[in-house]
Amino acid sequence: MKKALTYESINVGDAMPTFTSDPITRTHLVRYAGASGDFNPLHHDETFVKMFGMPRVISHGMFVMGIVGQAITDWVDDKNLRKFGVRFSGMTEPMDLDDPNSKDRATIVVTGNVVEKFEADGEKKIRCEIKAADKLGGVKLTGSFIAALS
Amino acid sequence: MADKTKVGMVFPPYVFEVEKGKIAEFAMAVSQKESKGQVKQIYADSGEARAAGYKDVIPTSTFQTCFLLWGGGGLMPMLEAAGINLVRLLHGEEEYEYLRPIHPGDVMTGVTKIVEMYDREKKGKPGKFMEFTVLEAEIRNQRGELAIRARTTLVER
Repeated sequence: MKKALTYESINVGDAMPTFTSDPITRTHLVRYAGASGDFNPLHHDETFVKMFGMPRVISHGMFVMGIVGQAITDWVDDKNLRKFGVRFSGMTEPMDLDDPNSKDRATIVVTGNVVEKFEADGEKKIRCEIKAADKLGGVKLTGSFIAALS
Repeated sequence: MADKTKVGMVFPPYVFEVEKGKIAEFAMAVSQKESKGQVKQIYADSGEARAAGYKDVIPTSTFQTCFLLWGGGGLMPMLEAAGINLVRLLHGEEEYEYLRPIHPGDVMTGVTKIVEMYDREKKGKPGKFMEFTVLEAEIRNQRGELAIRARTTLVER
């Protein structure tokens, strides 16, 4: 049982638990395409991306946002999430299964810090800034979320 | 080039019926799991969701991205109507406000509006501009209650 997160126990500057994804594979991208309905061939068809000189498909930005959403709701309860926004800054290439060294570029690490505690609309809330980067340090997105806490 | 006369334009509404299986499928996708038994159970099991204080299973935080993609004609017709060049398109920003919970059986209607279009000069490239289009969507349930407000910023390089 994880320790209950309360407004009183959390302070500005506190970090949310670091979340590390599995290395993203093409199979993950296909699963996300089917689940979301985003069938842009940029995300699954190498013969398409090669026409634009790209070496391989790239992840849906929204898939990375979804991973970040999982990181957030592993920490705050889903029902307490009030707002979640991101700015995309870098593309993510999936790992190549025949190249173990490519794992790091495809592994998403989500970090975040509480930047504000405030009361609004009759609720006690925190605002956290978040960042997702791969294991090589390449930033994928930055953003923030607001959660209500009791 | 984005057609700036389109600011204020409202797109035809799209309708999406929320299914329990779709919620679990989406949760598996973003959690990188192979089966619905491996995801957080409030996304997959009604009993577990109720035990955790929810009326039924709930979707993960970015699930509403399917409403437009599966429920509408997708993004393409919208982009074409706004005069946006697909080849130069980037997804710049995405933001959600969560106002009411969503459960299986809810019928969601989304209405998207172009709220802003502007240019910004590229860093270190005077005279070269990036074009920004900001879309806002209001997603309501079958009772007309606003459940999600979404804001999407698209960028043409």
